[in-house]
Amino acid sequence: MKIERQIRNDHLARIEGKAGVIVEIGEEINARINVTEGPRFFEVITKGKRYDDAAAICSRICSFCSIPHKITPIEAIENALGIEVSEQTKLLRQMLYFGNIIESHALHLYLFAMPDYLGYPDAFSMAKEYPDLIKNGMELKNLGAAIQSILGGREIHPENAIVGGFGKLPEQKEMEKIVEMARNALNIAVSTVDFFAEYDYPSYVDLPRNHLAIKPYNGYGVFGNEIVASDNFSFDVSSYAEYIEEEVVSYSFAKRGKYKGKPFMVGALSRIVINKKLIDGRAKEIIDGYKKFLRAENSFANNFSQAIELVYFIEKIIEMAEGIKIRKEERIEAKEKSGKGYAVTEAPRGLLIYEIEIENDIIKYMNVITPTAMFLPMMEIDAKNMAKGLWENGYKDIDLIGKKVEMVIRAYDPCISCSVHMIKL
Amino acid sequence: MKLKIGIHALTSCYGCQLKIASIKDLLKVAENFDVEYWYMMSSSGKIKHVDIAFVEGSVSSKQDEEELKKIRENADILVAVGSCAIYGGVQGMLIGEEYKEIFKEVYGENKMDYEGKIGEPLKNYVKVDYNLPGCPPEEEEIVYYLACFALGSYPEEKDYPVCAECRRNGFPCILIEKNQPCLGPLTIAGCDARCPGYNVACIGCRGPLPYNIAWFDSLAKAFKEKGMKKEEIKARMEIFGKQYEKMEEMIEKVFENED
Repeated sequence: MKIERQIRNDHLARIEGKAGVIVEIGEEINARINVTEGPRFFEVITKGKRYDDAAAICSRICSFCSIPHKITPIEAIENALGIEVSEQTKLLRQMLYFGNIIESHALHLYLFAMPDYLGYPDAFSMAKEYPDLIKNGMELKNLGAAIQSILGGREIHPENAIVGGFGKLPEQKEMEKIVEMARNALNIAVSTVDFFAEYDYPSYVDLPRNHLAIKPYNGYGVFGNEIVASDNFSFDVSSYAEYIEEEVVSYSFAKRGKYKGKPFMVGALSRIVINKKLIDGRAKEIIDGYKKFLRAENSFANNFSQAIELVYFIEKIIEMAEGIKIRKEERIEAKEKSGKGYAVTEAPRGLLIYEIEIENDIIKYMNVITPTAMFLPMMEIDAKNMAKGLWENGYKDIDLIGKKVEMVIRAYDPCISCSVHMIKL
Repeated sequence: MKLKIGIHALTSCYGCQLKIASIKDLLKVAENFDVEYWYMMSSSGKIKHVDIAFVEGSVSSKQDEEELKKIRENADILVAVGSCAIYGGVQGMLIGEEYKEIFKEVYGENKMDYEGKIGEPLKNYVKVDYNLPGCPPEEEEIVYYLACFALGSYPEEKDYPVCAECRRNGFPCILIEKNQPCLGPLTIAGCDARCPGYNVACIGCRGPLPYNIAWFDSLAKAFKEKGMKKEEIKARMEIFGKQYEKMEEMIEKVFENED
């Protein structure tokens, strides 16, 4: 193919991890997402480790989602070793997890995505004109960080969350602190939805697609063991390998996922598409009022969906922190020393699957499938369609096309660190 | 004149940068510097001369290597930030022939446009002026390093173990009183012994003590006396210490008359 123009960005800014994009414009228009972050082989380095050490290693897959990468392997280990944790542990884990989503969404929306919408290269320059926006974003982020510090021990790599429960339980008065912070953050979350409702989505990236999300155990939650697709099919996490395949391409250290052989989407938009009926409270009122923004066929709706989730998860944090009475309990010990287990959760960016096999307390096999690896092919198609739509409609400014392509990629909130370790041996 | 700084990542979890981005009053702190370059936060800027470059992550690909050399050429001072940059990180556990075999198994032979490399610390490729340890570093340490540079002074790396902070806090000793394989005795302090305070044994995430004072042999002997096997001890100590010179040798020494 003769290439007339090429748009190349070797290092995409304002995403987590290292990736580039190349758009080639000729008789056809193509886009490639190059994942250049080095491979990290977590499935290999955890082999031969004690299971609790392995869970601590896994959290190092990613800092933005270190809670999902600790809790999900822990749940897979517990599933393998027949550990049934207490109701209190389940509740505290859910709070910890929601706290992570709040922080991750706040960082993405305010520091990574908003500068695009307002025409700034970064949050620093945006802060000069819009100091309140940054203050708001930080307040949301701080709520998430505080929840993770109180329950996980710190906001990145939460060593207090362990197999069977927690190292140390929080104090009751710390729950009051969470409630107070969350009450202040709730209105900010609502204003975040309003911000993103100001913008129309580019229709160039309209494309019907399959969405995959968890069927939550309770409410619009993040834990479950069944995966539901928007083609009305569902399957148990233990049979994930039958429906989600992985492939290698030469330009990406991240493997890439297909559902029944086709690209698909996971993440906040997918969760709302699949589980909208489970949302209640203020978030439900907002959804009812803003129906036209929840467009399942347009990835830009993912930012809007993240904003709605901020409202929902903060409301739930208030409910949970108000309702809980912390009682002293010991962590649950394993009954078995060997076994095979699965777990799936909804990380900020979508489905996260862990399969773990343990023999005499030692990890024998592990496979991790991360959301970014799952949606990479879909993201690439949207990037291509954005460039194609602009070019074919007379926009020949390469810089502008480059910026808009980056915006599509950022709408997915990709987490490249997460994606570069998926190996499936 | 404000100091010019650049913030970079090679292969990592991006946690050190996230920690920097999370420091209280970041915008106020940033006012004291000209941030020339920070991909994670900004789409403006390209690598150019700076007074200080902060680099997190290990060198895990040919691209990482080239980027690091370019960063070094353009920086007066280079700071290795976090366990990946200082010791290779958890990915630094996979070394030697095993790395090559696994790479081939996962990506095939000569099928990739990019070359993967064993995760190694920055110092194996370029001169490193300072280490800022942590996984991730603590806020107070980041601010301390920044303040030292801003004042024209020199930050000092801690030379005492997590145990010192643990004793000062009066936490029960996880190693002696609870018989768990705590790595506090050979890990750089600075976290205020967070994990022992949560009843969790230290996993050594801040990396082994600098200045050749990480006594893997003494601690391996203590673990052995508690009934741990050599392989179990190695498996735990190598998580953040695999590329520490003499780690392996020191553990072997403890078991040498028994094989």
